[in-house]
Amino acid sequence: MSPKRLEDMYDAVIVGAGAAGLSAALGLLRSPEIEDLRAQGVDPKILVVSKLQPLRSHTGSAEGGIAASLGNVESDDWHWHYYDTIKGGDWLVDQDAARLLAEYAPETVINLERQGVAFSRTEDGHIAQRRFGGHTRDFGGEPVKRAAYAADRIGHQILHTLWQQCVAQGVEFAEEWYVTDLVLADDGSQAAGIVALDTHAGKVQAVHARNVLIATGGAGRLFHTTSNSWDLTGDGMALALAAGLQLEDIEFVQFHPTGLAHTGILLSEAARAEGGVLRNADGEAFMERYAPEHRDLAARDVVSRSIMAEIDAGRGVADPKDPDGPKDCVWLDMTGIAPERMAEALPQVVETIEQYANLDPAKDWVPIKPTAHYTMGGIPITTDGEVYRWNESDDSDLANAHPEWLIDGVLPPSRTLGDRVVVDGLFAAGECSCVSVHGANRLGGNSLLDACLFGTRAGRTMAARIAENPVDSPMADDSTDDALIEAADQAKFRRATELADLLAGNTDISGDSDGDSDAEAASANGNPYELMARLGSLMDRALAVRCNAESIVAASDQLDSTFRPAAEALRAHSDTAAFNQEITAIWEVRHLVELAGAVLAASGARKESRGAMYRTDHPERDDERFLAHSMIRLLSPEERDRLHDEIAKAGQDEPAPVFAAHPISWQPVHITDYPPKKREY
Amino acid sequence: MAEANNTTVTLQVHRFTPRAERAERARGGSPFARKSSPFGGGSDSAARRPRGKQWVQEYTIPARPEDTVLDCLMTIKRTVDPTLAFRYSCGHGMCGSDAVSINGTPTLLCTAAIRDWAKQPGALPQVDDEGFRHIGDETADDNTNAEAEASADSTDDAAAHGGSLGVIELAPLPGFPPQRDLIADIDPMLNQIRKLTPYLEADGVLATTSEGKVDVFEYLQHPDQLAKYEMLSNCIACGVCEGSCPVFAGGDAFIGPAALIWSSRFINDSRDAKAMDRMDAIDTADGVAACQSVRACSRHCPRGIDVGEEMWQIVAKVRER
Repeated sequence: MSPKRLEDMYDAVIVGAGAAGLSAALGLLRSPEIEDLRAQGVDPKILVVSKLQPLRSHTGSAEGGIAASLGNVESDDWHWHYYDTIKGGDWLVDQDAARLLAEYAPETVINLERQGVAFSRTEDGHIAQRRFGGHTRDFGGEPVKRAAYAADRIGHQILHTLWQQCVAQGVEFAEEWYVTDLVLADDGSQAAGIVALDTHAGKVQAVHARNVLIATGGAGRLFHTTSNSWDLTGDGMALALAAGLQLEDIEFVQFHPTGLAHTGILLSEAARAEGGVLRNADGEAFMERYAPEHRDLAARDVVSRSIMAEIDAGRGVADPKDPDGPKDCVWLDMTGIAPERMAEALPQVVETIEQYANLDPAKDWVPIKPTAHYTMGGIPITTDGEVYRWNESDDSDLANAHPEWLIDGVLPPSRTLGDRVVVDGLFAAGECSCVSVHGANRLGGNSLLDACLFGTRAGRTMAARIAENPVDSPMADDSTDDALIEAADQAKFRRATELADLLAGNTDISGDSDGDSDAEAASANGNPYELMARLGSLMDRALAVRCNAESIVAASDQLDSTFRPAAEALRAHSDTAAFNQEITAIWEVRHLVELAGAVLAASGARKESRGAMYRTDHPERDDERFLAHSMIRLLSPEERDRLHDEIAKAGQDEPAPVFAAHPISWQPVHITDYPPKKREY
Repeated sequence: MAEANNTTVTLQVHRFTPRAERAERARGGSPFARKSSPFGGGSDSAARRPRGKQWVQEYTIPARPEDTVLDCLMTIKRTVDPTLAFRYSCGHGMCGSDAVSINGTPTLLCTAAIRDWAKQPGALPQVDDEGFRHIGDETADDNTNAEAEASADSTDDAAAHGGSLGVIELAPLPGFPPQRDLIADIDPMLNQIRKLTPYLEADGVLATTSEGKVDVFEYLQHPDQLAKYEMLSNCIACGVCEGSCPVFAGGDAFIGPAALIWSSRFINDSRDAKAMDRMDAIDTADGVAACQSVRACSRHCPRGIDVGEEMWQIVAKVRER
């Protein structure tokens, strides 16, 4: 579905139609402000833009549950959830945000139920809850059943329910539109709209909007082995970088311990929650050694690292589908789960194993391998969903005032100060954002919660802004609209020119020629799909589960010397613009390359191990220096030119500074209730 | 995935490239273009019938029996032909993007394994001289069939089948206008789903909190009440059942199995207060009355819904009310 006609100006455009984007749309439309407006006969002009058809968003693949201290099965307290979230995130969590997350989780889950989610039920008809890794009672004590679930299809249920509610609200969608630009006006201080490729018509469109919300999901496709869908190419994050904004804590990528061998397809944590046990090549249930108390249900990063340690120690197994291949898997033993329980609680897990591994989990051990799963970092937002820039105060002033803070003569990241400057009318929610509830490692069950809860909050914040000056109001003040329209139209013009260029640069191979010359023609203009696969392998080698300075710099060099030029050289092989998927793929791989650069640079700057990030050259957490959020951005084109001049002037003797194209600053962690402790499971 | 082996598969893909839009608009201006059909003609699918270039293209690539057809198409995009268009997203049967016709049968690309669908050319049903094909599910025309045999024959001699696992024919989902290659326009299905108020209409107001305390609770629903509609709520709106249904063809005559499954999902939900209204809405000539109980819709539902049986149940329920 595409809009019949684009409005000249929208009150809000929402990019992404997963849990976060749809929650924002609903939060906006159900707010008291918008209800008031509607009562006055003023309809808000809202458009939801998605690169997929409806109901295809990756939210639908979430299996395990959504965490909330409902206490339906055993007694629970939101303070425990709050503490678990902070501890799970290895104390790189903004505690004001985590507090909101835990406190309003029950309300969020109950609202989902009342909108139609088909939750599994207890015998007395309440929402059923199950155990999930890292969720405990009494501040880190015994495991607690906190994850509300719908068999193992909670994401599907939530996605469909939210879409259904949007249908009820009459939300307008632009489907299979791929957003290419986030447009800011007024020196980047205000959102002006977006530019998008309508893939059906093959046309670039400018969508003018006073408010923009980015909810494009994660960036799992940075890696080759990933549980993420083919569409999670970090678009929103890359759009923010390109618009001159920062990304927060982007070095933290969670690897889910149980991807189905080399496919990367996720086997829900519920498989272990229901009694599945990890075993090495000797059949040993090795998690007892690494996490004596929580064993197979320790936090995800702990389990992933334990698996890698077993593999490194030569106790891994080969994927039975590739028996001569590397021994880079371990076993998931589900044979102890009663078959009836397995069918009732884990139908999706069983189906995936049967379908894609050709094994019977009731009898066979299943090969598994950590798979890139979730990006903890993203576009920095306040707890109201507003995107902000972090302006770091001048280091030298602080250093002079507090000489005792210096370590080896420099001010460490943990001591920096500054302030947040909100970009007017720009919002983000869900996995592409970072309100910092997940810190260095997300707890299971907290992602859907983050998307729904902070998505709704962002929607409400937008509603308040819209109510101040709605587009449709007869008294509307549209004096600033011209600047927004001009900015968006200019960006559209640039993008349309580029599109024409990409289409024209082709050698058409879609004809009837034989395979060999097809392949040659394909390599002549490069192939975005092939480049994406190679980029995934590069990032797997450099960063998957563990990394060090050497692996990071090597990958970064290759990215600059090989991948960036290759991405720039890509051209389409068909000149028909309509449904030209290769055009989208070219822009996606360029997004991934830019994002990979930022992830590598941020990983290089954090010289410690924390949560999901494990550096073999800095194996300990270092609160004294790095208890801080990294805030990374791209140099603007002008800044980059200046940098190149300086490098040229410095001559051959000076090695080019590593990661100079990615200025990084640091933001203190909000610690209000729970001071950092050692994180043990 | 396909590097360390030496078996191959041949995919015969029915391709289509739409003509540039300018030509379309010119035709829209023709006084002869939009004559109304004697069969209703309310649908705009006829007006949107795409024009462009159609052909069948063959790709022979390395593949293993356990690979999915989607794996093979991705290999083609990466190594042979990046212009081949098909929808795909999650790759494991949850998102519902990739319903197409495989060997004439609607199903998902990502759940179809080569071992289940590849056929040795000899086993393909032949098209006879008059262009009819015998019982089976093959739709290739004479030329491509001959080519398929030729290309497969040439590799046959190396071993039993020369390492060729066989041929698979791919076409866009039937019943919907093709847009490009394997991409079809399934908006008619989504619009029909939208028509039947596909959202829970319960009686309560939404929960609020005061000072962080939950002061209202979820609707209670017992496991046996959940069981009445849980399976129906698993529908991913992929369109496989619609493409299989001989009555459904874009939707004028029949609102289609998917929309009825969605309606039934709410009718059977104990929390919903509008069951009677919902049954009225589907008690129409193009609603439950149009279902002819062919039950082809059940065959390849990726969520395992026995669509035909559910249709039967909802028809009975509507009649009994």
